[in-house]
Amino acid sequence: MTDFMLMQRRDALKSLLAISAAGAMAACVGEGKAGDAGTKRLSSSPKLLPAEMALVSAVAQTIIPKTDTAGAVEAGVPAVIQSLFTEWGDDNFRSYWRAGLDNLEQHFLKSGGQPFANMTSSQQANLLGKYDAKAYAEQGFDDFYKSMKSTIATAYYMSEPGATEELAYEAVPGEWRGCVPLSEFPKTWAT
Amino acid sequence: MADFDAIVVGSGISGGWVAKELCERGLKVCVLDRGKPTDPAKDYSDFLEPWEKPHFDNVSEDVLKRDFAIQGRTYALKESTRHFWMTDREQPYEYVGGQKFKWRRGAHVGGRSLMWGRAVYRLSPHDFEENKLDGEGVDWPVRYDDIAPWYDRVEEFIGVAGDRDGLPQLPDSKHFLPAFEHTCVETELKQKLETLYPERKLIMGRVAHLTHLSDKQIALGRGKCQARNHCYHGCSYGAYFSSVSATLPAAERTGNLTLIPYAVVSELVHDPVTNRVTGVHVIDAQTGKMRTHTSKIIFMNASTIGTSLILLNSATETHPNGLANSSDQLGRNLMDHLGGTRVQATVKGFEDCYTFGRRPIGGYIPRYRNYPKREESYKRGWGYQVYSGRGGWGGWHSGIGENFKAKNRTPGDWTIMLDAFGECLPNPDNRVTAHQTKTDKWGQPTAVINVKLGENEKSLMRAAHQDAIDILTDAGFSSIKEAQKPDDNMDGIGGRIHEMGTARMGRDPKTSVLNGWNQSHDIPNLFVTDGSFMTSSAVQNPSLTYMAFSARAANHAADLLQEGVL
Repeated sequence: MTDFMLMQRRDALKSLLAISAAGAMAACVGEGKAGDAGTKRLSSSPKLLPAEMALVSAVAQTIIPKTDTAGAVEAGVPAVIQSLFTEWGDDNFRSYWRAGLDNLEQHFLKSGGQPFANMTSSQQANLLGKYDAKAYAEQGFDDFYKSMKSTIATAYYMSEPGATEELAYEAVPGEWRGCVPLSEFPKTWAT
Repeated sequence: MADFDAIVVGSGISGGWVAKELCERGLKVCVLDRGKPTDPAKDYSDFLEPWEKPHFDNVSEDVLKRDFAIQGRTYALKESTRHFWMTDREQPYEYVGGQKFKWRRGAHVGGRSLMWGRAVYRLSPHDFEENKLDGEGVDWPVRYDDIAPWYDRVEEFIGVAGDRDGLPQLPDSKHFLPAFEHTCVETELKQKLETLYPERKLIMGRVAHLTHLSDKQIALGRGKCQARNHCYHGCSYGAYFSSVSATLPAAERTGNLTLIPYAVVSELVHDPVTNRVTGVHVIDAQTGKMRTHTSKIIFMNASTIGTSLILLNSATETHPNGLANSSDQLGRNLMDHLGGTRVQATVKGFEDCYTFGRRPIGGYIPRYRNYPKREESYKRGWGYQVYSGRGGWGGWHSGIGENFKAKNRTPGDWTIMLDAFGECLPNPDNRVTAHQTKTDKWGQPTAVINVKLGENEKSLMRAAHQDAIDILTDAGFSSIKEAQKPDDNMDGIGGRIHEMGTARMGRDPKTSVLNGWNQSHDIPNLFVTDGSFMTSSAVQNPSLTYMAFSARAANHAADLLQEGVL
């Protein structure tokens, strides 16, 4: 038994599957590894706190802004991430996310002088753009950020506006055609 | 006076066939399933949209740790399909001897016919002769010509989409429905492969989906495949074959079927005077109460390991090692198809092509090594399942904002992947036994599984891996990626969910459990037609063969009853 659709999707799901294993190293994520995260007492709330949710929403919306289609916030991405946190993940998952978000916020406080959510959208795009580029250029720079970004992407592209407006989606295709012109079907299939 | 003419233990892909055939022959048949009833309206999740499935349909980490740590997780285990998979708590088992065995099955009417991969391939004449040729295991007591008419019968009823390829190592069906189309990169690989290596072929996968409807299938309430690829969620169209979509409704229509869910068979009842099985002891899964059903003949279709456990648990004074086990082969020769190698490449030059719909099968490269003659240092061979598609969306790349959206909105590179399914040799030391003291929630002994990959299995998968790299390289494809390497995956078997072999057929009662009619050598009114009868594994996905032997054995048993032999 195998399923290629799922294998294709493995990159998207990797984020969720990998992080719990990494959870034990939650205090060692990203730039803060020698600094704050080791000594700081983070919340143990089973929910993402308002400040954490504000950061998640702002990062998600900066990665996937509103264009002619919905952005991450309009597509409900923050609520999906809250539900992963409260209903799906285990303690490792929660501590990994909490430490990762804290590390990210500390970085932006240092580089932008205020919480990321309070910045202007151009400042957000500028700072996150640099951070994102570094995360993919330097191995081990911030693995949490990359898995968070993948989770945001999955939440967005599996949402109704993400799947049906931003991408193409057919609930019941009715038939399979193995080779069709891209000009007729120019958008990535959601599934 | 027996309650029924026949009792069938298990309603999965083989039990459903036995039930249909016996009912159609006019026998009063009782099908017992340990699990819950299956109600497509309630149990199938194929109409849920992606955004209607919380947590991307992933089972939570805490549930995975609690319920699936021993067996591991299959790709088809999702939150919306979790009710189809037995948990480690429901079927506690252990593996010993240092290697893992992934034991995955369901507890519901229809069994794994609801979650199967639906690939259907005949065994070839060579497959039935190979044990004899190279001396592994015992000789199959049947040959291809014995089973070919039953392949015909099964294929016509279930519906198989496929092409007539004319390959001796993978005989065609007489009844193929229109095949699914290749993608453009599969066509490219096919041309390159067949030019570079004339003995190797890339064909379209053969799959138990209705791409065309017959009147009989319409009458059963089945519909055409809609190319959704939601199959393991259950198919509300009944477009792929399952016991629930086809065999059980056909059996039901005869008026001869009694289907009893929640019936956990603990042991068979054996009469030492007549040397016949006379019935089964059943534990009611809802009340825990014991009862007995009686019948003239019994078919075991409880899945390979399940059947072994029940027969081992049915030991009597005259059968101290378990019922039908005078050969001591019951529980031995446990096999599964080998995996653990996947090689992928990027294919350039087809950027202006895409696909429409979601195909429920991939391509297939039938076995070519050691065929028709043995030429390699290892024995047997493998077949590749071939998957291809264009990259989709994802978050594992750099970039934010409008650029990120634009990149995901545009289909990515074409990739093609070869996934080898290798043959596992029968080894009597690879076995399942009943635990001496540990029991499950029904008080039944739990399974102890001891399997080891042999040197032949290891050599074979390494060769399959290297061949895949060579094929994709020689085809001129780029970015060859070893997605799975055999040497990283030699810690056990079971992941293909094709377990088989623990009550093998053979000519000699001293070395096999069943004769060529799936009939116990020891007890003439006991038949086994789930995967346990397999004398060798071959490389083909096995369900079609289970179905063909089930149909053949059921009709033989009905003949024997009619003739008064049983």
